[in-house]
Amino acid sequence: MACCVKELAEKRMARLMAAMNLEEPDRVPLVGVGGDVIPAYSGLTMEEYYFDTEKMVKAIEKFIKDFPCDWPFAALIAGLDGRVFNVAFSEYPDLSINLTFITGPMHKVLGDKYYRYPGMEISVDSSPQFIGGTFMEADEYDKLIADPVKFIAETVLPRACRNLENPRQAMATMMRLGREIDNFNALMGQIVGKMVENGYPAMAVGGAYAPLDLIGDFLRGVENVLLDLRRYPEKVKAATEALVEPITNYALAHKSMGANLAFIPLHLNEYLSPKLYKEFYWPTLKEIIERLVKEGFKVMVFFEGKHDPHLETILELPKGWGIAYFEKTDVVKAKEVLKGHTCVMGGLPMSLIVGGTPEQIDEHVKNLLEKVKPGGGFILAPGVSTAPRETPAENIKALAEAVEKYG
Amino acid sequence: MLEEILNSIVEMDEEAVEKARKYLDEGGEPQKLLEACRDAMGEIGARFEKGEYFLSELILGGEIFRQIMDFTLPKLKSGAAKKIGKMVLGTVKEDVHNIGKDIFKVFAEASGFEVVDLGVDTPEEKFVEAVKEHKPDIVGMSCLITAGVTSMKKTVDKLKEAGLRDSVKIIIGGGRVDETVKEFTGADAWSDDAAKGVRLCKQLIGLEG
Ligand code: B12
Repeated sequence: MACCVKELAEKRMARLMAAMNLEEPDRVPLVGVGGDVIPAYSGLTMEEYYFDTEKMVKAIEKFIKDFPCDWPFAALIAGLDGRVFNVAFSEYPDLSINLTFITGPMHKVLGDKYYRYPGMEISVDSSPQFIGGTFMEADEYDKLIADPVKFIAETVLPRACRNLENPRQAMATMMRLGREIDNFNALMGQIVGKMVENGYPAMAVGGAYAPLDLIGDFLRGVENVLLDLRRYPEKVKAATEALVEPITNYALAHKSMGANLAFIPLHLNEYLSPKLYKEFYWPTLKEIIERLVKEGFKVMVFFEGKHDPHLETILELPKGWGIAYFEKTDVVKAKEVLKGHTCVMGGLPMSLIVGGTPEQIDEHVKNLLEKVKPGGGFILAPGVSTAPRETPAENIKALAEAVEKYG
Repeated sequence: MLEEILNSIVEMDEEAVEKARKYLDEGGEPQKLLEACRDAMGEIGARFEKGEYFLSELILGGEIFRQIMDFTLPKLKSGAAKKIGKMVLGTVKEDVHNIGKDIFKVFAEASGFEVVDLGVDTPEEKFVEAVKEHKPDIVGMSCLITAGVTSMKKTVDKLKEAGLRDSVKIIIGGGRVDETVKEFTGADAWSDDAAKGVRLCKQLIGLEG
């Protein structure tokens, strides 16, 4: 079996790489679903899944075994986005790279106000929630601009984390956080091990973030930052520029773990008119992507929501820079605009996988692939990769079968 | 003056708030101001539907509207602001996204609906109780995460069990809804666009959108 497992992984990897490099693979690669359906499939509560690593690893293994795909990207999500911590630790690359996910145990240690975990603030059966908040006032932009890492580490985090409120507490909390980082690394090692054992490519994925999203999600809150854009445009712009350096630094730190793919999920793209997008959002995001590409990374950007009004801006990036992953943007149209320049990913509405029938899924995949398969450079993926617990198993199976048929 | 206030709101000029305050201070009629603000919100919604405005404009427009209403509504004679219908609105269980719901709420209120806001992460039972208590024409559910799709179905089922389903129209909205979700949950209408959603609500209660 060992030989075949290795071959299978190589085949899947080749498929993904071909698509990424804008070539035509032997068949269209499929990214699998993840999310609440994984613990549910093993009969676990969300609390068990997020706080008991042994159970999590077992559940993931069972799921990726029973529902094959080419890349179980979403199955690797072990916590909630912790980008503000990446930035706070960006001067310490060895630590920074371990904070992309804040796991349940890390949340417990930090006592932060950003997240809510099952069995703590929410019921044992709820999936973890990021709620964010406002941890910086509008009149503090100058401090953020002057020294973003200092301001975030020394002013924002003590406000956002109950257990970092004073230096004494902070010492103890950081020691405990270090322990959880070790646990997290061990967990990731085990998950990757299970992937390899089951014929999946062991792709190490790093990350980066759009500067304006960092301000919206972790510092000012989404609604406030949108009002700030109008009220203090110059300051907001200067703040996004100041964040480029620390974000690039933490993203590049992932080289040390062998990552050559950086994942960037976008949040505020859908909110902004092309004018605001081009003024406040895109320039600094583009700079980060370009710097990563120059350093040998491929970048995978998740354009959440409807990205249609900004599609053309993607063409400003160097050809072959990476993957444009779309949620609600029509991928047929996106591929038309981006073909020969950018690999396009997406195409499966989660509502279809949850609420549709196997026949409808077959039909959808058939029609879609007819249009986007020719010429390659396409990866089929759910628009939102986190599937709810009630997702019918036969639908996930139908998806894989349809790709075998029409891919 | 009213014309100027209306235009300032539509053009996203926060000066509109001061202009409105001045209008009332100088003896202007609150009822007329309210109507001008509603018209402005209607125009913002129309521009959004046409793709000229984006979410950030809806949020800023909503913020300006809210600030003006804060000092205008108390000045209105009770009953002066005629309501066209009543709605119970909430983001569904498991889901904590509030922005889309809040935008929709402002637009629904601006077009004359009375909205009872249940907040976020709203359990099914809370919707049922609210329908019993407030007897709304419409139940609106906002859903931004896929787990919320099941919550909506359960809410509709619970309303059926309680014998309340036929007394209300149900509209669902938010980034994760579409025709499939509408069918799956058993709602009457769906929209992922606040302006269109308000039009649909009017249609649901027999007014033309
Ligand atoms: C901003 C955002 C957040 C903010 C929320 C801020 C807030 N206070 O609301 C923060 C950062 C806190 C957040 C947290 C989380 N989020 Co979030 N978030 C988003 C994002 C980027 C935008 C959502 C949004 O506000 N859109 C703008 C609003 C205005 O649009 P809208 O809601 O569709 O509303 C419009 C219409 O639909 C309509 N409308 C709205 N409600 C109603 C109701 C009715 C009745 C009607 C008629 C109309 C209507 O009017 C509005 C204006 O036109 C989306 C991605 C996306 N683009 O959808 C992800 C997204 C929704 N989040 C997601 C996730 C997973 C989360 C988290 C779990 C953690 C995480 N990984 O980030 C947490 C917690 C979620 C939970 N349990 O609820 C996922 C959901 C995936 C899934 N399972 O389905 C998404 C889709 C991102 C993704 N693609 O992975 N998020």
